[in-house]
Amino acid sequence: MAKLALAWPRLDKIAALPEQPVTHRRSDKLGRIVGRNLAMQFDTKSDPVVALENLDISIKPGEFLALLGPSGCGKSTLLNMIAGILVPSTGTLTIDGRPVTEPNPGCGIVFQQHSLFPWMSVLENVAFGPRMLGRSDPIGTARTFLGLVGLEKHETAWPASLSGGMQQRVGIARALANYPPVLLMDEPFGALDAQTRSIMQEELLKLWGQFSTTVVFVTHDIDEAIFLADRVVVMKTLPGGIKREVHIDLPRPRDPALIKSDRFNVYRSEIFELIREETLKVFRRGA
Amino acid sequence: MVRLVNVRKQREKWLWSLAGMAGFLAVWTAVSLRIDNPVLLPTPDAVVTGFVGLIRDGTLLLDIAASMKRVIGGFAIASLLAVPLALLMALSRPVNLLLSPIVAFLRPIPPIAWIPIAILWFGIGDPPSYFITAVAAFFPIFINSYAGGRSVRPEHVHAARSLGAGKQALFLRIYLPSAMPMIAAGLRIGLGQSWMAVVTAELIAAHSGLGYMIQANRLALETASVLVGMCVIGLLGAAMSAVLEYVERTVLLPWRVQ
Repeated sequence: MAKLALAWPRLDKIAALPEQPVTHRRSDKLGRIVGRNLAMQFDTKSDPVVALENLDISIKPGEFLALLGPSGCGKSTLLNMIAGILVPSTGTLTIDGRPVTEPNPGCGIVFQQHSLFPWMSVLENVAFGPRMLGRSDPIGTARTFLGLVGLEKHETAWPASLSGGMQQRVGIARALANYPPVLLMDEPFGALDAQTRSIMQEELLKLWGQFSTTVVFVTHDIDEAIFLADRVVVMKTLPGGIKREVHIDLPRPRDPALIKSDRFNVYRSEIFELIREETLKVFRRGA
Repeated sequence: MVRLVNVRKQREKWLWSLAGMAGFLAVWTAVSLRIDNPVLLPTPDAVVTGFVGLIRDGTLLLDIAASMKRVIGGFAIASLLAVPLALLMALSRPVNLLLSPIVAFLRPIPPIAWIPIAILWFGIGDPPSYFITAVAAFFPIFINSYAGGRSVRPEHVHAARSLGAGKQALFLRIYLPSAMPMIAAGLRIGLGQSWMAVVTAELIAAHSGLGYMIQANRLALETASVLVGMCVIGLLGAAMSAVLEYVERTVLLPWRVQ
């Protein structure tokens, strides 16, 4: 356990939690993300491509933040930086004061699709994290979390035999099973049909209400961002960065009917205009 | 209902296979009767008689055992070397740069071209045959395992690391199963190559086995026994391939069964 604690300094705190699966609200105030002066350049054969420039961001513990923007705005790049998958060209990025250098169990990740391990049963997929951290009862923990997403009956199934929505629920259960302070979601519902997507959004809000982990959610769907988030960060293009932040002052728990309300509409129009400007910028550059 | 349909499909499959075999035997019989020269082409009937005779006197089983031993031995040596080496080469850039040119240069040399040097090094009998079967199986297994090692999805690696997987767990629980479908394909091709190579090796470099047996019977103009040997080679090759496919489905790639 000491070795693991070194690998991820906050793990000592996570690991000190009871051996029973933890499914309650965080009270440890972990999950603060701070990025200063972040930039990301990709070297290509012709000239370097600037994906992000001059980006400052600060995310509070337990906040639900949506990164919204057209393709090419660097929202996935920013998410991958927070995840430790990409290392910023310049600037500093810390989670709870510690620099992020590699993917680590303090940050759960839910990908767009196809990230479950197809050679493991649904149950083994969810048990993977607790196993890697040396928890005492990974299978029991996995059952608890599968129960939370309503898939306890499918524990012996292979991931490939599940529908897209079910696969993403397993993905969420797998990411939550380590009780990470931060949950990163990269267009997790992008490949789902509209009905499934709407139900998944509600389910996600319920889970988030139960854990109140910090969530960073990448999407290009305006309604999805407003419905889910406390704060929507609208990204700009050419070069990528933050255009504006919109605080979503809608009551929680949120009901799907909210989407038809006037206040929702005001946010929608405001954000629609912002994104349209950015999309046009790219469009004109291309033409 | 689904089961009934499956049973019907199964039955249909068997009927067609049997019809194909029956047609093949009919053509063979007709041609051999027309030629009417048992040295050039004996009838299926004569081959069956020859088969029973060779089973009775025990020599056929000894030859089968000798060839099987060489294939399984050479195939095992090749698998144990090729899979780890290929994965190492897929995952480590220095190893890749070091080994790529050697592999590129050794690969086009057909197993048969190794036979003379194998005889010089190992003499006549089992050792050169193990060497040849191993060489024949090595490259299909190696090339496929290498491709498998390169085919791991970055999402799987990122997901595993974000769940706390270290280097060893990453290799055993992510890279290895990711590569397994390609490894299995390589094993299947490698086993086939190895089986073909053993016959070639025994034609030249051994005094036992099915290859030696058909060569000896050719010299004695016992064509029926030559055909017995060829049929046994064909049947055993198909049987080993079926066994490997079963192992694939149940042990190596159970998640691929839908």
